[in-house]
Amino acid sequence: MAALIEYLPKDSPVHRLNALTKFFWALFTLGFGLLFNDYRYLLALLASVLLVAALARVLQNLLPVISGLTVFAAMLFLIQTLFYNQGQVLFYLIPGVDWVPVTFQGLLSGLAMAARMMTIILSFLVFLATTRTQDIVLTLVEKFKIPYDYAFMFLTALRFIPSFLNEVKMVSAAQQARGHAIEGINPFKKIKSYAPVMIPLVLLSINKAENIAMAMETKGYCGGHRTSLRETKMKHADYLLTAALILLLVSSAAARAAGYGAT
Amino acid sequence: MSRKSLLKVENLTFKYGAEPPVLKNISLDIAGGECIAVIGQNGAGKTTLAKHFNGMLKPVSGKFYVGGKDTGQLKVSVLARTVGYVFQNPDHQIFHDTVAKEVAFGLKNFQLPNELITARVAAALEAVGLTAHHATYPFNLSKGQRQRVALASVLALQTEVIILDEPTTGQDYRESMQIMNLVKQLHQNGHTVIFITHDMSLVAEFAQRAVVLCDGKILADGGVRSVFSQPELLQKTFLKPPQITALAQSLNGYAVPPDILKVEEMYELLKTRGEEIGCFN
Amino acid sequence: MTLLKIENLAFSYPQSKEPALKNINLTIKKGDFTGITGPTGAGKSTLAYCLNGIIPHFQGGKLEGRISLRGESLFALGTAQISRMVGSVFQDPDAQIISTDVEQEVAFGPENLGFSPEKIEQRITGALKLTGISGLRHRPTAVLSGGQKQRLAIAAALAVLPEILLLDEPASELDPAGTEEIFQVLKKLNRKHGITIIIIEQKTEQLAAYANRIVVLNEGAVVMDDAPRQVFSQLQALKDAGVRIPQVAGLAGMIGINNRPPLPLTVEEARGFVERILRR
Repeated sequence: MAALIEYLPKDSPVHRLNALTKFFWALFTLGFGLLFNDYRYLLALLASVLLVAALARVLQNLLPVISGLTVFAAMLFLIQTLFYNQGQVLFYLIPGVDWVPVTFQGLLSGLAMAARMMTIILSFLVFLATTRTQDIVLTLVEKFKIPYDYAFMFLTALRFIPSFLNEVKMVSAAQQARGHAIEGINPFKKIKSYAPVMIPLVLLSINKAENIAMAMETKGYCGGHRTSLRETKMKHADYLLTAALILLLVSSAAARAAGYGAT
Repeated sequence: MSRKSLLKVENLTFKYGAEPPVLKNISLDIAGGECIAVIGQNGAGKTTLAKHFNGMLKPVSGKFYVGGKDTGQLKVSVLARTVGYVFQNPDHQIFHDTVAKEVAFGLKNFQLPNELITARVAAALEAVGLTAHHATYPFNLSKGQRQRVALASVLALQTEVIILDEPTTGQDYRESMQIMNLVKQLHQNGHTVIFITHDMSLVAEFAQRAVVLCDGKILADGGVRSVFSQPELLQKTFLKPPQITALAQSLNGYAVPPDILKVEEMYELLKTRGEEIGCFN
Repeated sequence: MTLLKIENLAFSYPQSKEPALKNINLTIKKGDFTGITGPTGAGKSTLAYCLNGIIPHFQGGKLEGRISLRGESLFALGTAQISRMVGSVFQDPDAQIISTDVEQEVAFGPENLGFSPEKIEQRITGALKLTGISGLRHRPTAVLSGGQKQRLAIAAALAVLPEILLLDEPASELDPAGTEEIFQVLKKLNRKHGITIIIIEQKTEQLAAYANRIVVLNEGAVVMDDAPRQVFSQLQALKDAGVRIPQVAGLAGMIGINNRPPLPLTVEEARGFVERILRR
């Protein structure tokens, strides 16, 4: 699961763009996805996101996520189809009594919903996969004026998720080896049976946090003035792309206001 | 006299998901009452193999038998009655507020009667020398003492096989010797003991048999003396024999046997020679 | 040339009856490779904390005495300033590597101290080269081996060019190959680049081979402070202090050398030593 938010180091034009540009692109897909309901527009958007992923060479890495998302998308599709009753009825799910109509418009609407969900999530994942975490932090600090300590906390927490998950596995294994089983249908019993795993984990985490804090302290971290190895420079490509995206979003809003892509 | 096979690994291969195999076609036969050291560089597969012994991992292909029974379908909580596993970091297990309660945990899981639990806990604490600390908060003890608490928790289960995963890492010399002497006693009392370690001098002093793993395969499996006499073999998994053994091997031009395991042995050898040559000290 | 002078250092942790350090007096010269050893609870880590500013800035307690670095009192400085003089490497690789990739990890210290990006770049290249991991510059830290992680920790500490490198049991979680890796790096840093090394370790066989000075602590006090050949010849005192005796030194001690042939500290030295006996 932690692999979802990991940066994938590759050499691609997308990787070379500034973090801010990529963030705007993700926001753009969000905006575009919310503006339109027409399944054709949304499928085209999805295709564009997949294209960007391919250009960034991360498409293959994201395939397991995409397949997972497709499952959810299918569920969404089903739910939307069931509740959207307008338009030409194709068939009834419960024939004989003519209950739960499935309409052509319903199918298209379901498709639109599913496409929208996948697009928005995927675009953010592509953003995370093509942007170094320290660049995200830097952008947060420099462009959005978030204090460094908070941005750093977020960054460091991400770094420690995989090692924490590893500890969960080790503690569970250790307690299992003493005959402990996580069981019980009774919710109270089940929560209680997590204690042998949770307590050592909490203690271990506190201990590790203290060690990390000491390490940081001895490396001069003191909340004072600090510089950065990497600079968040916006290059020509960044400005052009950001301008193009803004233009696209504005014209999309105008088009929508004029009635295009409403259904 | 051939002892009965207690743990038997047959053509075992193991891998995580689609990753390359961690253990490749391993076969191993362990009889009751043996004292075995499993050694090899980090990543060779030592812990992965040991985790098969108490059922935490199941072979992807091949089989593992305990007492003749195929363990493929057996749950860990069932195998835990025969194979006890002492983990490397006691802090991965400890969560009670007294040592006695901690040691009783496994016994409670096996739903033994209370009087029996009390008796077993007392016996286990006595065996590890922590009777005085039965009411102490475990985290007020040193790491070495906590490791002994973890060992006591496993001892209380009275399993036939005891596995120790790096029992002396992070401990000082005295604590290491304390734990290893306990291990020796367990072996003398009839338990089958398997320990994983990086410390070659511990292997030399406490193990009878050494299984050397390298890159998921068994590189060597035999008496400690015979395994340590082959330094080129050990080198393949980036191990070196203990200093005194390496010294003996560097003196092979003087008819010094290559399988000297302890300082005392070397001393006795030199004393004998010294007396022959008549020059000593 | 005296670099570090510890005078009458004493420290007690809060809510602790026994002092952790009692009247420590030590002098470290520039270029020394000092090994500090002793049983658990002897005060080794506590001493390290006094040297890198964790005591008193991060960990409170009753602190007495004086530590001066090049004549300047260490207690008057903040941890950021101390980090420019004393670089620290701890035992657990997983709890001291903060970043997701190697380059960022080494950049962390210089960034905290406000160096310019060009200077940071220079320091990263230098530190990676010193520890022999230049090829790992763009790797994620999660895929490094134990030995590589500790070399990274050393590089990160060296990025601000401290005169002293302080290590607290850096090899305790490493396999023999990783341990050898670290000691080889430390040897090169000390012999070739003149970095003063203070290393706390239980692995006395390595300390005997690489250090030029051994300090044994027990129950908060210094019980031995001398060259390795002198320290490891005192077998009974070492046994009493619970210190592991390198096997070749133990052998020589059993044979009895009366300080005439020098005490062997490595297998090669022991070989020469034994050959002399066998040839006579």
